[in-house]
Amino acid sequence: MIARVAWLLARPGTAGAAASALPVTAFGIVTALLLTVIGGAQAFWTWTDDEGVLYQALAVIALVLLVVPLVSLGGAAARLSARRRDDRLATLRLLGATPAAVSALAVIESAVLAAVGAVAGVVVYLAVVPLLGLIEFRGEPLSASGVLLPWPVLVAVPFGIAALAALSAVLGLRQVVISPLGVRTRQEAPRLHWVRVVIGVGVVALAFGLMAVLRVAPTTMVILGMLAVAFGASLAVLNLIGPWVIRLVARGQASRAKTPARLLAARTVLESPKGAWRQVGGVAMTSFMAVFAGTGVAVLGVMGAEGDAESQLLVTDIRTGILITVVGSFLMVACSVGVNQAAGILDRGELYRSLDMLGMPVATMDAARRRAVMSPLRITAIGSAVTAAIVMLPLTGITLIVAPESLLVIAGVLAAGIGIVWLGLLATRPVLERAASA
Amino acid sequence: MSSFVIEAAGLSRSFGSTRALAGVDLSVRTGESLAIMGASGSGKTTLLHCLAGITRPDAGTVGFVSGAGRVEVTGLGERERSRLRREAFGFVFQQGLLIPELTAVENVALALMLNGMPRARAEEHGRGWLAALGLAGMEDRRIGQLSGGQAQRVAIARAQVTGASVVFADEPTGALDSATSADVMRALLDSTTGQGRTLILVTHDAEVAGRCSRIVDMRDGRIVGERVSA
Ligand SMILES: Nc1ncnc2c1ncn2[C@@H]1O[C@H](COP(=O)(O)OP(=O)(O)O)[C@@H](O)[C@H]1O
Ligand SMILES: [Mg+2]
Repeated sequence: MIARVAWLLARPGTAGAAASALPVTAFGIVTALLLTVIGGAQAFWTWTDDEGVLYQALAVIALVLLVVPLVSLGGAAARLSARRRDDRLATLRLLGATPAAVSALAVIESAVLAAVGAVAGVVVYLAVVPLLGLIEFRGEPLSASGVLLPWPVLVAVPFGIAALAALSAVLGLRQVVISPLGVRTRQEAPRLHWVRVVIGVGVVALAFGLMAVLRVAPTTMVILGMLAVAFGASLAVLNLIGPWVIRLVARGQASRAKTPARLLAARTVLESPKGAWRQVGGVAMTSFMAVFAGTGVAVLGVMGAEGDAESQLLVTDIRTGILITVVGSFLMVACSVGVNQAAGILDRGELYRSLDMLGMPVATMDAARRRAVMSPLRITAIGSAVTAAIVMLPLTGITLIVAPESLLVIAGVLAAGIGIVWLGLLATRPVLERAASA
Repeated sequence: MSSFVIEAAGLSRSFGSTRALAGVDLSVRTGESLAIMGASGSGKTTLLHCLAGITRPDAGTVGFVSGAGRVEVTGLGERERSRLRREAFGFVFQQGLLIPELTAVENVALALMLNGMPRARAEEHGRGWLAALGLAGMEDRRIGQLSGGQAQRVAIARAQVTGASVVFADEPTGALDSATSADVMRALLDSTTGQGRTLILVTHDAEVAGRCSRIVDMRDGRIVGERVSA
């Protein structure tokens, strides 16, 4: 019974192919990025000397930075595949499947889609390995064999990802049982408390203080540790305050909106400030990093010019590391925006279709959707850059932050981050067009 | 003296090997309320969508007559049909399909804003229509805070606020109990034929259809019968 129904649903159909291609692609990207990150880090752990330990500490910071957007991308992929399942529950019931069969099928389907995507991701990773191996650290390429993960890991990762997808499907099913239509009919827009802001300001002040005493810290490891704490705390604060600020701005925009697109965009953000934050939060991370990187590059420039050969090598390597981390997190942010948008559109397919019937131009729907991402993005990117600058201030002094080299890096990274989100939005326009005219 | 507002001839439409419409001729008079009945899958929605310029038929023509003359709906491009729907037609769907993030009055005002009316004036008109439909005091509620019948009346206000000359409704009472359904039908008729406008409605429900001035029955993509109500 299950096999027959599964086959009926898996047949290449009109919307079916696109709907399953999306989660498969998303899981594929997650897997490829995850393996690339682990593979790169693995190369660092072959070093055992003192310098090696420093590299490992830096690698841990980069990993933490990359894991956060990776986890949110993974969550988005799981939500996307869950949504696809919600859409099809009705079809299944019409075909006469029992609730138990429906549940089993939903779990199997999620796991299979994730596994297919993960296997594709492993293939992509293997294709990238030679390129990864070319990256130079400590004056030598990492080499393909250095970044190639052992085969048990390559086998285990797809299984792990499939298992996680199945788990999130099981958890998601409970919600479907409660609300079979899966329609969002929340009674009231969620509230966020201003206490968040007070806590946030306090933590930023603490981070500021920590940075101020950094100069007198005894060892490099202590400095790195304090940097990590200041960094992590500030990011946590951004997470706390970000949604609140986004909501505040959107409320003003909603009452001032003069065009349908502006009104819709502001109301969409107000509906879920946290959701809006989730989509662009990755950029907060990168623009935060941009300031660290920008001033860091300036500091290192000064250090490198004075230091010996070894510290010059370290400076080059830190630059490489920053570049890789920024590029990696941008890739994940772009994917995450694409996946979230695709999921959102599929989720509201019927509504978009009805708006098309009412004569709302697709261009208006698209403008509203774009604005609902770009407006929080601007707030987020600028807000987090400013926060980072404040935290960095005691360490670098104002001259370094406004040095042309740092400003150039900061502006470049911000522009690239905003541009990449814009590309993610552009890439999902065909999904909207198809949904509206389905 | 009543003239025709919609004139359709020889409509057919297939989806793959399914013939959803197999040659339909139908004319609708200004100010009448027409119910389209028939079993599920008999082609009612497809017919409604062809008449409203949402779907293009494979063959046949649909004409829309207004003060400005006759428009060949089937000859219009995508953009022009979209504009015609926005300016001359109103729609009510089974599920309401209102925008959940917007308040009741914003949902209604949006239809006017799409036609270029400034927001303040659009909301004022919207409030007027909501009050007329018995929803005074609920203008600023979100859609999730309304009952099914109330949401459906917001949808009726949205369909009417632009002064649409024809309102198309696809099973507008399909998700409501019979008492609420009677209320919503009354509101729908008052705001359309009651104002000299035209209502074209798809329904399963004989009681709902009985409130309309004319009923056509469909089977397998054809009109197989026609009745005039008392
Ligand atoms: N977009 C579509 N794609 C494929 N088949 C369709 C589509 N729309 C309608 N049909 C088919 O056309 C027939 C008539 O559908 P419809 O007009 O929706 O009937 P009704 O509204 O009377 O239930 C049905 O067999 C239906 O499956
Ligand atoms: Mg129908």
